[in-house]
Amino acid sequence: MTKLIQYLTLLLLALLSTCCGSDTKRTTLDLENTDWETLVDSTSGKTVNFMMWQGSPVINDYINNYVVPTIKERYGINLQISGGQGPEIVQLVIGEKQAGIAKGQVDMVWINGETFFQLRKLDGLWGPFVDKLPNSKYINFEDPFISVDFQQPVNYMESPWSISQFALFTDTLQVANPPKNLEELERFVKENPGTFTISNDFTGMTLLKSFMAELGGSPKSLEGEFDQEKYDRLSTKLWDFINQNKKYFWKSGETFPKEQTKMKQLFANGELKIAYGYGEGGIEENVRSGLFPNTVKGYAWDNGTIKNSNYLGILQNAPQKAAAMQVINFLISPEAQLKKASPEGMNANMVLDIDRLPEAYQKLHAETKTRKYGPSMDDLKEHVIQEPAPEYMIKLYEDFRTAVIEK
Amino acid sequence: MKILERPLLKNKTSATGILLFVVLGVLPFAAAFIYALLYSFGLVGVISSGFTTEFWVSVIKTGSFFKSLGYSAAIAGIAVFLSVVIALWLTLKFKSALENKFILMMVYMPLAIPGLATAFFIIQLLAKGGFLSRISYASGLINESNEFPDLVNDNLALGIILAFLTMIIPFFMLLFLNVYKNERVEELRILAYSLGATSRQVRNKVVLPILLKKTRVLIALYFIFLLGSYEVPLILGQESPQMISVLVIQELKQYDLDKIPEGYVVAVMYTIVVAIAAIFLFLPRKREQYV
Repeated sequence: MTKLIQYLTLLLLALLSTCCGSDTKRTTLDLENTDWETLVDSTSGKTVNFMMWQGSPVINDYINNYVVPTIKERYGINLQISGGQGPEIVQLVIGEKQAGIAKGQVDMVWINGETFFQLRKLDGLWGPFVDKLPNSKYINFEDPFISVDFQQPVNYMESPWSISQFALFTDTLQVANPPKNLEELERFVKENPGTFTISNDFTGMTLLKSFMAELGGSPKSLEGEFDQEKYDRLSTKLWDFINQNKKYFWKSGETFPKEQTKMKQLFANGELKIAYGYGEGGIEENVRSGLFPNTVKGYAWDNGTIKNSNYLGILQNAPQKAAAMQVINFLISPEAQLKKASPEGMNANMVLDIDRLPEAYQKLHAETKTRKYGPSMDDLKEHVIQEPAPEYMIKLYEDFRTAVIEK
Repeated sequence: MKILERPLLKNKTSATGILLFVVLGVLPFAAAFIYALLYSFGLVGVISSGFTTEFWVSVIKTGSFFKSLGYSAAIAGIAVFLSVVIALWLTLKFKSALENKFILMMVYMPLAIPGLATAFFIIQLLAKGGFLSRISYASGLINESNEFPDLVNDNLALGIILAFLTMIIPFFMLLFLNVYKNERVEELRILAYSLGATSRQVRNKVVLPILLKKTRVLIALYFIFLLGSYEVPLILGQESPQMISVLVIQELKQYDLDKIPEGYVVAVMYTIVVAIAAIFLFLPRKREQYV
């Protein structure tokens, strides 16, 4: 028995030591001294694992029925998609780092500034690589909405993929004059109790940032590095506003929907009269698919809403970095971006600078149909806020729980 | 020790069995627990900065763990109590009907439905925009969807409890039916009658004690199982308080990476609570026949 115990203790220790092992060699590329052709020369036949948010049918359709087959046909690369966004990606990186896994499960990821900040903190991203991509010449890196992600310089560590602005939407048949500032919102919820809420996720927190900028007095009030004093002052005002009015929110403000898809369902079945989201509200696909009535329209918030880009990154321990670069280069090609812009499909704004495109594509872009229901980014350009530093989001997330939900 | 050692080594099959159990069952769990413990004290983790008790202090101070544990225990307790009562009543009332194979299969059916599906089904049925609400609207019972009562994501966790009931009543019914047969309760009942007991006495002194005594460990285990359930409260619960597993995952997945160890604190505390409960459950009754 004693021997058994000794043996088991040893085994336990062995198990523990393997879980905290040190890093071994990773695959790496010499980007400095290799030209693009040599770099992607041997990528045919490779499998690239792409972790992305799969919560939208039109995005899945674009990826599965256009990107995957095209990449297979043109470059011989097998693109495999796995589901996961911000927190899942971060968990994966943390897990693999702790286990010292040199060849990770995932090569490339679809992220926003929040995750970018976390992955940089974990040293989980590989790069800089974006300036090596031939198609990056179409991107205007002078545009601060592209080169600065949540107030952090991108520095070619992630490639922009789409750019979009946050907007609110309502059914114009039911709400002729939707609220466009906090004062009007207060009046609106009092007149229409139970029809507004804040989703307890990225989308809801983004709305709260717009509210906070308004309480700060201007669209620019949150710009610059994170300022704790400013945050404390404005967030106190924000929580006061919400706590005073939450009794008029959905379910009397006693609970909040966990995520935006849930909020959209509530909007679709008539419980909510106002909702919001990225992609200028992202209503086009929902109206076209019949989820929302065609009287739903997106609109701007007076003091502005947040505009940002989302990006593609390559993980530090990605086994197929060169092939992932090839895939990303395709995703930012004029062809793939134009396809993505179609209002009948994914309906995402091109992240490319139209003036830099070859003439044929400029023509095609001009011919692309415009949206029927959602506003365009141009319609919202007077009401734009740059993404504040990531700490604002992190703090809002935590304080929304303690100062509002648990109160 | 020697006395123990000898029979263990003599019987090789049982020694291998124990070893296998320890290697496959105990070791990974022990390793994970130790890992979580180290994590909660900041000793491991990608951005750990050495030993600290700040995460423990913070979790204990905010009290969300205790609130969440109490909330989970209340929901699990109510769900188990109600399902035992309902299952007992159904079993005893419809005993003969339940001998029909087809009816028995219908009782089995809900056991094959995963919790996730049950939760979605309940949302479809009971949400303010759900099936029942629409019927009420169409039949003029309510004038707008907001008038429909709050049955999911609600304060009283009605949705969660309902989901649990649909999941576990069939299980308890089958359990009671089996015990009823195996313990020859029917014969004991007839015997009690022939000895002059009233039907109330037969129920309270013969049938119920046998059924409950025989199944109480399973009932307690079901309570622990519900205490830690995840997907049903995730879908049907509200944002605060949350059931314990939902809280753990939320803490582990939070945006603020510096606070992830708090998730491990909650997980460790929860494991300890359940372990203590399990010890209390099994140890004192070691000698009893019905375990």
